[in-house]
Order: sequence, then structure tokens, then C-alpha cells
Amino acid sequence: MTDASEMLEVASADPDTVRDVFAQRGWGDGLPLVAPTAERVDDMLAGSARDPDEVIAVLPPRSGMATRRIIAVNAVLAGCRPEHLGVLVAAVRALARPEVNLRGVNATTHPVAPMLVVHGEVARTAGYNAGLGAFGPGNVANAATGRALRLILLHVAGAVPGAGDASTQGGPAKYAYCVAENLDESPWGGYAASVGVDAPSAVTVHCGEAPHNVHDMEASGPAPILDKVASAMTSLGSNNAPVSSGEFFVMLCPEHAAACAAAGWTRSHVASYIHERARIRAGDLRAAFALRAWAPWQEALPDDSAMPVTEHPANIRIVVVGGPGKHSSVIPSWGMTSSATVPVEH
Amino acid sequence: MEVYAPDGAVGAAPTGLAPGAGVLAGKRIGVLDNSKPNAGLLLGRMAERLAARTGAGVGVVERKNAALPAPDDVLARLAEAQVVLTGSAD
Repeated sequence: MTDASEMLEVASADPDTVRDVFAQRGWGDGLPLVAPTAERVDDMLAGSARDPDEVIAVLPPRSGMATRRIIAVNAVLAGCRPEHLGVLVAAVRALARPEVNLRGVNATTHPVAPMLVVHGEVARTAGYNAGLGAFGPGNVANAATGRALRLILLHVAGAVPGAGDASTQGGPAKYAYCVAENLDESPWGGYAASVGVDAPSAVTVHCGEAPHNVHDMEASGPAPILDKVASAMTSLGSNNAPVSSGEFFVMLCPEHAAACAAAGWTRSHVASYIHERARIRAGDLRAAFALRAWAPWQEALPDDSAMPVTEHPANIRIVVVGGPGKHSSVIPSWGMTSSATVPVEH
Repeated sequence: MEVYAPDGAVGAAPTGLAPGAGVLAGKRIGVLDNSKPNAGLLLGRMAERLAARTGAGVGVVERKNAALPAPDDVLARLAEAQVVLTGSAD
């Protein structure tokens, strides 16, 4: 196969050698890398009949062109298998959606990382973990796909710490941040369909913080569980506190989701209740933030009003993830970004 | 052995710097406050001092969200100025 991509010489395919040669050029995430030989990249692309040199997206700040081939190169580097490529291509499409604001996501001092959520058939057929330990470690699909997406951001988008990523402290979620929705144990059906994406497989990209744990072993009904979710959302340290359009992904474990559904609560009921309960006194927010991006009606609220931490219940996104146990999590966004859900191509 | 480079081609030519504004006397200086802490204060004072030293005038002052591109109407109003001061980080 011929193409215009740059090739370079390495002494061997040893992962440490590839890591070191790439590091000299400012590439890589610090871990050993699988050599992206032409044979391996062709194998990665073999499952797709589509044009390998079609530009899927142009990613800021470098304005790098993410073709299927370049996505496949980074998939090989990360240790992906060919069945993961479709998820990565969809994730790149999602990242390029204007509402995601990838330029801001990559430029900010905040530790934001795109969380990739895999929905539907591909989660099962390509081996993604939606159950116990879904956020990792241990599963090839979750780990390698999450890592590959970060490598694409580093190499193609140019989100290199210092030059293209100003994150003050960085963060572990910037290594790999990929999880699958536990559709089998979701009492409300799939998340993608709930936001209007009717496809056998889909991915969501949500640019947010690392997961904040929500632990509830005691409650049998929804309200006490969701009060703890609300408590995890009402931190003055969150970027969403002064940004009313910010989204929160609430990743409910199956047992917490079942407790809500058993009481007759829908996904929308859960979001509405959390919106009602996740509030901070408006005066406290005003005292903490001189710079705010609130909706006009929120600016008009008196200081003693209980201000919702996000403008609308629709900004609270409910996904079922995980296995046995009673730990859920909250993932606040960076603030000036919205999630995107797109179908996985065949 | 040969391996692929992982970065691929760049899809858009980088935007070049505008040519210098030359003599500032008689020209209008604008300020685009990007809402970062003290950006308006810093840039405003710089504009005033620059104007005092060069004979320029301080014209339009606009503000934008730090995390988003400037809206078209803000850019249109800034076009009244021949020099715009902007860019402040935390």
C-alpha cells in the first residue's frame, strides 16, 4: 500500500527502542510503544473497507489531519486490535464536534481529559469492559483504546504538555480514559438512544475530570443515594461551579441504578432530582468567583437562593457502568465544553 | 526497519503575524480582554501608556470568554482599531 505518510527508521521493533526514538521527536506518552510497521498498520485497517486516507477530522491546536491511517498508526502504538479501530474513528469524529471545543480542552490549565464511553454491540464484540473495574485496569480494549485516543491528541492534535496542553498538574485520566456502558444492567436502556443516537454501536466523548467516587451502602431507595451524588457535585473547586452550561456525567453502578428504577424513577427523574438537590448558595458562589458564565436568570437570583450547579437537568447525564458493589461516580466537565455522542461506522 | 510517523500532515497553514502597525500617532488602540484575572486592568493600562507615549488614542474595549473564540460582533467592533492588545493567561 502506498501513501504520503512519513516513515522513519528505527533500529528494532523493541517497544523500549520505539519509545526512545519517538521521545527524541517529542512523541509518545512515556510508556513502551508497539512499532507501527506498515504490516501492522495495514492489518489494523483491514477490517474497514473505507478509504484509509479520508480525513476524519482536523484536530486543534496543531491542525493535524486525522485520517483513518494515522488513527490506525496510533492504535498500533497503543496496543489496540483491529476491532477497536471503529471506536477510535468515531471518537475522533466526536472530538471534532464544535460543541466539544477541543481547542479549549487542549489549551486549558484544567486537568480535563476526554472520557470515551462505548455503547452498544461493539462493546461486546470488541471486548470492552462495562462491568467490574470498568475504568480499569486490566482490560485490553478499554486500556488500549483510551491510550490510543490520548496518543492521537498528543501526536495529531499537538496536545503536548507545555506546547499544546497547559494543564497545571496534568492527570492520570490523560493516559487512558475509556469505559463501556453496562447496557445489560441498565434499567433505562442505552444512553446513546436517550440522546437521539439510534445506532447499533456508538461512542460518547465527555471532556471532564477524573471520576469522583459516590459511596452508598445504606440506602435502599433513590433519594439518599442521589443526595450523595448531589453532594459530590457541589464542590466550589469544580470548573462547573461558575459555568452554568457545564455537564456532569453520573456513572451509576448497577445496584444504585436498580434502586432508582425499583422505585419507578426514570433516567429523567434521576437527573431532575439531582438538579434539584445539587445546589450551592448563590451568594457563596458570587463570593468565590468574580468571573462567571451563568445564565441570565441565575445571575438574577438573590444571594440566599439555592443555585443549581448546572443550568438544566439535561446537563446531568446518567450512564450505568460497573459491576457488583455500591460505588458510583460523578465526572464534572471542564466547563466550556459539551459532550458528543456519535455512531460507530461499520 | 521502517515505521510510520504518528503525527500525520497538518491540515491548515498556520496563520501568520500581521505586519507591524508602523507609526501609532493618530491611530486607535483597541483592547480585547479575554476575562483572565486582571487581563482588563493590565491591557487597559498598557493601552493608556502606549497611547500617551505615541500619540495614539484608546478606542474600543471588548471582552470575551477566556475559553471560547471571540464572537463575530466583538471582532467586528474591534476592527475599528488599527492595533489591538490581547492575550493574558493565568
